Amino acid sequence: MKRIWATYIKEWHLMRRDLGGLSLLFLMPVLLISIMALVQDAPFKDYKNRKFEALIFDQDQGKISQAIQKGLEESGQFTLIRQHQNQALDSMTILSEIKAGKYQLAIMIPKGVSSEIYNSANLIANEMGKHMGIPGSLPHREAREGINIQIVFDPVSKPAFRIAIVNALEKFTTRVQFDIIMDRISALSGQADTSKKLDIEKQLRSVGVKEMQLHQQSSGIEKSNSVQHNVPAWAIFGMFFMVIIISENMIAERKGGSWNRLKSIPGPFFHLLMGKMLFYVLLGCVQFALMVLVGVYAMPLLGLDALQLGQAALFLPFIVISIASCATAFGILVGTVFKTTSQALPVAAVSVVILSAIGGIWVPLEVLPDSLKVLSVLSPMRWSLEGINTLLLRQGSLSDLLMPVSVLMLLSAAAMWMAWYTERKQSGLV
Amino acid sequence: MIRVSGLYKKYDHAEFPSVDHLSFSFPEGCIAGLLGPNGAGKTTTISILSGLIKKYSGEVEVMGMDVKKHAEEIKGKLGIVPQQIALYLNLSCRENLRYYGRLYGIPPITLGPLIEQLLKRFGLQEHGDKQIRHYSGGMKRRANIIASLLNQPALLILDEPTAGVDVQSRNMILRFLKEYNEEGNSILYTSHLLDEAEALCQEVLIIDQGQGVIQGSPAKLIQEHQTDNLENLFLKLTGFRVRD
Ligand SMILES: Nc1ncnc2c1ncn2[C@@H]1O[C@H](COP(=O)(O)OP(=O)(O)O)[C@@H](O)[C@H]1O
Ligand SMILES: [Mg+2]
Repeated sequence: MKRIWATYIKEWHLMRRDLGGLSLLFLMPVLLISIMALVQDAPFKDYKNRKFEALIFDQDQGKISQAIQKGLEESGQFTLIRQHQNQALDSMTILSEIKAGKYQLAIMIPKGVSSEIYNSANLIANEMGKHMGIPGSLPHREAREGINIQIVFDPVSKPAFRIAIVNALEKFTTRVQFDIIMDRISALSGQADTSKKLDIEKQLRSVGVKEMQLHQQSSGIEKSNSVQHNVPAWAIFGMFFMVIIISENMIAERKGGSWNRLKSIPGPFFHLLMGKMLFYVLLGCVQFALMVLVGVYAMPLLGLDALQLGQAALFLPFIVISIASCATAFGILVGTVFKTTSQALPVAAVSVVILSAIGGIWVPLEVLPDSLKVLSVLSPMRWSLEGINTLLLRQGSLSDLLMPVSVLMLLSAAAMWMAWYTERKQSGLV
Repeated sequence: MIRVSGLYKKYDHAEFPSVDHLSFSFPEGCIAGLLGPNGAGKTTTISILSGLIKKYSGEVEVMGMDVKKHAEEIKGKLGIVPQQIALYLNLSCRENLRYYGRLYGIPPITLGPLIEQLLKRFGLQEHGDKQIRHYSGGMKRRANIIASLLNQPALLILDEPTAGVDVQSRNMILRFLKEYNEEGNSILYTSHLLDEAEALCQEVLIIDQGQGVIQGSPAKLIQEHQTDNLENLFLKLTGFRVRD
């Protein structure tokens, strides 16, 4: 125990004088977290939380176009623009404005849309009346083809966005059509008493589709947002950068001869590795804690959401210690296998970057192609992130942590064993 | 104190053995010199004696114990001063010594005074809190020796302790070795500085290309081979070919 503690103290003295190493471990992840959270803020944001400017070119001026405009405005997501430079819009300006990327969409309602809807409503009402034995006929003509409400999207807008808008517009028009049909039917049957009319709106929504939140009561963390993804992800990445520091230190130790001096002192060498491990695991925990503080207090200063912790964050130490152990063990392995820093550093840096990429650090795992998803099982970062998401996003319990924690501990043990084996091989014991 | 017979060591992937059927012994309580040109196998031999190299053939006994069987016990009684400065350059001298001392299991109550006494003995007391990287070459060498004295070894092995050291530091080191020997401890040191060895050692072994060339007390060897000093004897025995 004294030997472990002595090694711990030694590592502390070495670390506190290593400004380069400290900034790599603390400054770099803070920068990464801030920049990545900012960069990825937009793609992560739901369309719900954004406001769009939509151009409206209304040549119809009828009931239908009123309904559409009312519907869009009531949703609160659209600012409708009806004029361009104090001039009424026309299709030419609309197309050029959209092309220039100034607006996300334009809605063009051609002349005759309302009358076409009335016509088709009359047709339907007549047809229904016939079936119900209500005599009479509302004026109608043949339906005209090709009168459509047109939407123009900015070419860069995402398919999901386009679908959402088209659906919304179709919903508005259907509702108006339904309204008119009901009107017509009451007119046919001679009941002009509108006070008894059904609240169509309400009835149409009697069965709807509604999204349920998984954790309504606990903390209101429902969805991954940029901060919620990037803070843990880059904190993990930063913790794995310890691999570089540890391997560099170990190689310097060996080159300088301290390694041999350590080995010429009686007592198990494994104590010294334990002391090293203890120090770096604690350092990793401090790193993570700092990143959490940055997430909670610094992110809002950048105009982003604050990192939400929730109650399950109480279990964070379990997963964070496992992550730090894994990073440390990996560093000890690299520091044992390679003899020079010029070999070890590129290997350490590149492998951390690659493992992060397939582990879902750069972009969420779900976005990765299937082949990489399979590979990600091998990445300690994947299990690290999964463990943290279990707590921060899914509000999981201790038993949900079992899998990621065991995988990380297993990987640490495997790395330590390989380091130990390599060391013994080098000193001619196996 | 040391008995070696038929020692043979070939590194993995090496073409020739670095130590080739070497046999010698040094009596207890003497200052012994292991001499030879560069690449003769001095460092390899010392590493085997101190248990750092474990793959070799032949028999090696240190302080009456087989190195393979009693490695831990020997380590406790042995001090080894490597050729390199085996200290953490970013730690101060005191921090280095404290660390190594604690690894030996020396309790803080005795470790503190011991460190101060050794620093004083080597003229480093004033510089004890300076980081090693700020030390001069001679200071580094002295600190390197102190770190190997913490367990007060009965046998001190030094690998070229005076190579590249200024005259004052060298003088201090040599004086220390004499004193330490007079205190009843054995010393084995390697060098290629033959006049130094001639003056210091009671017993020398000259090796070349991993093989023993000659062993005995310097005075006797010089007399027997009718040369004026150890250097001439050395050249006579190992030849004039320049070594890499
Ligand atoms: N780790 C090693 N691997 C391969 N060859 C080595 C190794 N260490 C030393 N040698 C070789 O063994 C020989 C003896 O080296 P060494 O014991 O260091 O000699 P000395 O200390 O007398 O200068 C040299 O030829 C050297 O090149
Ligand atoms: Mg040597």
